[in-house]
Formats: sequence, C-alpha cells, structure tokens
Amino acid sequence: MNCEVCQLKELDIEHFEIREVLRCILHTVLFHRALGLVRPKDIDLELFEITYVQCGDVELERKIDEKIDQFIDRVEKHPNKKNQICLSFYEVKNKQATWFTNKVERLYWEQWYINLNVAQHPKGISGKSYSSKVVVDPGAESRSARRAALETSLRDVLFQIIRFVNEKKDHIPPIPNLEGVSFPYEITISSSSDSAFGMDMLKRMLQTGHPTMLS
Amino acid sequence: MDSLSFWNRTLMEPMIIDIILVRESPNSSHTMLSNDVFTETVVERWIVQHESQSQRSTPPQTSDYKKTYKKSIILLRSVYSMLRLLPAYKAFRKKSSLKQSCNFDINYKVCSFSSPFSRDEEHSMKKYSFVPVEAQQGRLSVSVIYREDLSDFNLDAFVSCPLEIITDYVGSPLTDPMRAFSIRENHHSAPSRRHSWTSGGLHRDVSLLHNHNQPLSGSPPLYRSPYEYSHSPTDAYINKNQNQRLTSFQKTSSEDLLSPPLSSSPSPSPPTYFSGGNIQSRPVSIPHPMMSRSPKYLSPNLSDPSRHHSLPPLSPRNTKYDPSSHESSSGIRSMRNTPISLGQKVSRDAKEDSGRFSSLLSSSSSPRVGFSRSSSRLSFQDDFGDCDFSCPFIVDDVDPPDMQMSPNLDARNSSEVSSQTSSTAKKSQDAAVGALVHMLRTAPPLRQDSSCYNSSQSSKIEMEGEIGAASEFFNPRKTSDALEELKTYKEMKNLLLSKSNAHMAGKGKIEN
Repeated sequence: MNCEVCQLKELDIEHFEIREVLRCILHTVLFHRALGLVRPKDIDLELFEITYVQCGDVELERKIDEKIDQFIDRVEKHPNKKNQICLSFYEVKNKQATWFTNKVERLYWEQWYINLNVAQHPKGISGKSYSSKVVVDPGAESRSARRAALETSLRDVLFQIIRFVNEKKDHIPPIPNLEGVSFPYEITISSSSDSAFGMDMLKRMLQTGHPTMLS
Repeated sequence: MDSLSFWNRTLMEPMIIDIILVRESPNSSHTMLSNDVFTETVVERWIVQHESQSQRSTPPQTSDYKKTYKKSIILLRSVYSMLRLLPAYKAFRKKSSLKQSCNFDINYKVCSFSSPFSRDEEHSMKKYSFVPVEAQQGRLSVSVIYREDLSDFNLDAFVSCPLEIITDYVGSPLTDPMRAFSIRENHHSAPSRRHSWTSGGLHRDVSLLHNHNQPLSGSPPLYRSPYEYSHSPTDAYINKNQNQRLTSFQKTSSEDLLSPPLSSSPSPSPPTYFSGGNIQSRPVSIPHPMMSRSPKYLSPNLSDPSRHHSLPPLSPRNTKYDPSSHESSSGIRSMRNTPISLGQKVSRDAKEDSGRFSSLLSSSSSPRVGFSRSSSRLSFQDDFGDCDFSCPFIVDDVDPPDMQMSPNLDARNSSEVSSQTSSTAKKSQDAAVGALVHMLRTAPPLRQDSSCYNSSQSSKIEMEGEIGAASEFFNPRKTSDALEELKTYKEMKNLLLSKSNAHMAGKGKIEN
C-alpha cells in the first residue's frame, strides 16, 4: 500500500498564533478522516475570520491540545528553526514475531506535513517597533497586513486539505473503527535541523511497536 | 427548505442550488423598503448530479458498497468544510449576527436548470469540482461555482444604524443586574450560534470584550468574534429604538430608564450588544418609587406580542442569579403583586418585600433563592439613584373599576400595587409571562378568603413598591386586555393567599 504524503503550504506565523492555526489544520484533517459518527462542531477562529469544523470528540481535542503544547515548547526551545508537525495515519499489522521485532507493525498510508515558520520574536513584530522608538502605527499596519496574508494562506491550506482529501481516496484502508477518529493516527513534531529533518520521519516510519498515540 | 421537498426531479436531472444575495439597489438605499429595488446576485451555485452509467459487467461486491460509502462520507465532509470556507459564509454569518439591522438577505433557490452566468460573472467566479463518487449505477458529482470576492457588495456598509449615543445605557455587563435575565430572555431571539452568552459563558464573553485585542488561545472560540462587527452602531441603534418605545409609555419626566439590553426584540444577540464599543458603564437610573400615583394603570398585556418588543424584560432582581428559575421567580413576583394590587402608595422597602415573599413562596419552588438575592440586587440598583423609572416588577393588570371593588384593602397597599403594576408592566416579557400564566393555570384551585386576603395585604405594607405610578404608562392598552390579565392575577392572588394563609393570619389580624 502506498503512502500518500501531503506537504501543506508553509505558514509564517507568530508565536501567539500557533495554537489557533494548528488546531484549525489538525482538526480539519482529522474531520475528514474520522469517518464514523461525529457531531460536527463549528469553531470560529478568534484571530481570523475562518470557521473550521471539529469532530466533537473531546478526547481528540485533548490529544491535539497536548501535542500543540509540546510543539510550542519545542518552538521555544528551538526558536530559529522551521518546525514541522506530521500527522500520520497508519494501519496496525500483526506480524509474525521474530527474534528482534515485536508483533505489531505500523503501515503508514497517509502523512500530512504541516510546515510552520514561527517568527523569531515570541512577542511578535511589536518588539521591533518598541526598540525603534517610532510611532507604533507602522508596526500595527504591517501587523494587520501580515495577519491578512496569513489568513489568506491559512484559507489556502484548508482548501489544499479539502482538495487532497477529495483527490486521494483509494489509498484509504477499510475503516477499522467507526467511533471517533476511525483510523489510528500519530502526531509527531520535528524541527528542521541541518540534515536530520527527513530522516526523522523515515526513522519513525520504520519503527515498530511505538507506544505513542495508539488511538 | 420547503423548496427542496418540492424538487422531485428524476435522477437524470441535476439539482442546482443557487445561493442568492439580495440587496437593495444602491440608488434606492434611502427609500422605504417597499419601494426598493432589490438586486439579486448568485454568490454560489452548487450542482449535484448523478451521472448514470451502464450497468457494470461484474456484479456488485460488498466491498464495492463499502468503498462507495466511505468515499461518500469523505465527500460529505468536504462539502461541509467547503461551505464554511467559501466567501458567502462570511455574509451569512454577518447576516445572522446583525439580523434586523442588516440590509441584505441571503436566499436560496433549487431547480433543475439555471440561467448561465454572463461572461463578466464567470470571470469573477471560481469553480471547484469535488471528485465524483463512483457508485454501482453511476457516479455522484458535486461541484460549486462561487463568487470569490464579495467586497464589491460592500456588505460591511449594510448595517443601517447610525452612530448613536446611548444616554441611558444600563451598565456594563460586569455590573449589569439584568445580565442574568438576558441569558434567559434572549434564547429565543438569538440564533443558535450566539451563545457563549446564552450558555452562561457570560464571564468569558465579558473578558473577551476587555481582552479584545489580545491573542486568545482558548477553545472553543467565542462565536461572536470576529464575525460580529459594527457593534457600536448596531447596539446604539437597538438602544435608541428601544428607548424610544419605552419613553412613549412614560408620561413622567424620567429619562433614565432601565433600558432594555435584554429585550428580545430586534436586537442582535447579547454578545453583540455588550461587546459594542459604545458600551458605557453608566449606571442605570432606578425609577423612583414615589412617582406619580394613580389608581389607573394598565397592565402589561401578557399575551400581546407587540409589547414584546417595547417593554424591557422582567425585573433584574428576579433573574439575576438563577436563570433556571427565572420564570418561576417572575411568576412568583407577579403573584405577589396580585394581592396588593390596589394600593395607592408606593413603598420602597424592596428588601423586606422580597424577604417576605421568599418565605411566603418557599413552598412553591426555588424562587426563594432568587428572591433573597434579588433583594440585595434591588438595593444595589437603588444605589444607582434617581428613581424616575418604575420598579421592574410584573405589575398587576388591574382595571381601575376592579380596583375600587376591594374596599377592604389598605390605601398604602394599593399604591404599592399600582407602582408595582406599572413598573412590572414595563418590564414584563412575553416569555416570562407565558410561563407564569401557565404555572398559574396549572396551580390547584384556591380558596377565596377575603379576611385572609386582608391580613396578608396589611402585612405587606412594608413591602417594596418602588414601582412608580403606572396608569399613564399603559394608556395604549385596552381594558379588555386588562380584564383578562386581571383574571389571571386573581388566580395568582388566590394561590398566594392559600400559601400565606397560615403564615400571615396572626400578624394580619393584629394589623387589621
């Protein structure tokens, strides 16, 4: 089975926008992959005029928020790197136990890469404005322009998700679980270190018996 | 949605759903509504079609059905998400939040064929086709043609409310005693999204108001932002209208009404209201309980829908803390008014009044809590001073001739009741009144006991009566309406009597 990969458009965001943007994107993807009974919940973003849909699954929300917290911690520790969140869907295959592997194997059939470029100053552009001792208005204007551009980009990302979801349907395995998110998934965080960026993903794909995020 | 049920075409024909934006023509924006020319623009066109294919050679497998089902689910999810991403959704949200102050409308039309777009229109529209879902008999395809840019319609300018200064604003949400009431009262006027407010998220809402420019990471987001816009003009407009209606009922010089932020009339949802930039923390002026007294007062027409929009809601004292028992509280309060409906003098001892009633009616339901709290709230309101406005109680619908039929009542009681009646009439809302009436109608029959009635009346001399004279406030009401309500209130009175009988009998006899 092939693994479909979707690299979402990179977004330049401020530190305080991370949570909203990530929630929006992750929930949108999962809403299209939770093929069981869901109670769609419309959520308005507070920073943008965008409405996305959640599955209405409390457990899912909690997990996503945990991951976002981890991501934010990661960003704060590695401020000058591009950060990436990978949402992977896999199938659990029971394999014959050999002498070095466990029984359970994960076959990833879809991966979504959310590429975020978090601005250097955690406080946003306003830091520069203060230091230059000029009227804050120029900073405010550029901020609003940047915000508008980000809103457009975020909307593009959501369109991208919908397009991908529509175009690639054949690779989806049979639905194992109709409750909540139908497929087991995993959210991993990585930063763009010099060489190991893609290797991190490969390593995770090859790992077996990984104890995380078995939903 | 009725048109969908009439759309009974065959599978061969596509179903075309046009989402139409209706707005006044720009050159007629100042004319009366009936003379306006409306322009309709298709902002979205959804085409759902089943394309039949010849029967497949292989018989259908179970797995084929599963695949079709799975893909259909994904298609539905995509459509659901796409609907919220398209530009027309913003217009829809603005329309929902602005309601009556919005000069554009969104309609839909379902048909099997539609006029094609003009060349110019096509240029301004984008198309997206969802991937068809293969089924055994054919395939289901959904596509949408949408207008990408709605800025030409200048939807933001469609709010027809000039900036107004609210001279008698009730107060900030933090201190507004009627806040809790608005939670109840607006449940039927606000759309479903409104409700970080109605669901009790008031504090969060207020905090958002104050932190409006700060990044918020809380989830779930408050629905009122960022789609609610033009708060200031909208709020001012609503306030202006409501205040105008109120003043039409007031013959006194009172200008400081408990303006009805909680009226369920054509106002936007409370979050919109309170989040407006023109919200002042100006305290409300409490009506002076010693307003002109007159035996005549028109009662609020409990069943008159026109009053629904003109009267402020029930007393905040009734509703401040216990939304769930609002209706029972208000009902109790109007029941309380019934036995003392014949007074001339207005007393101001609201606290004692509430206290008495809480004990009086403790057997009925939970309003006791509401009452004890409301007494404190009443004193709080008193602190705002300036009591030109009648007390926000449910007033008796007492017809003047009927009042005179109770010679046994103390004069002071009558004044209490009259003042209560007027203020309550101002404040009564149809919802609360309806619940009250229902409660009273389902109450067990009571025993008429004039002596007990007198005793209870006299014992309530000190009850609060900061309701101003009411009669002139209700002139527009008809006597027949008043008579109807009198009957209702008599029932309430009887219920009260039975409950207070044992409690008040001893006291009353002494004072009698």
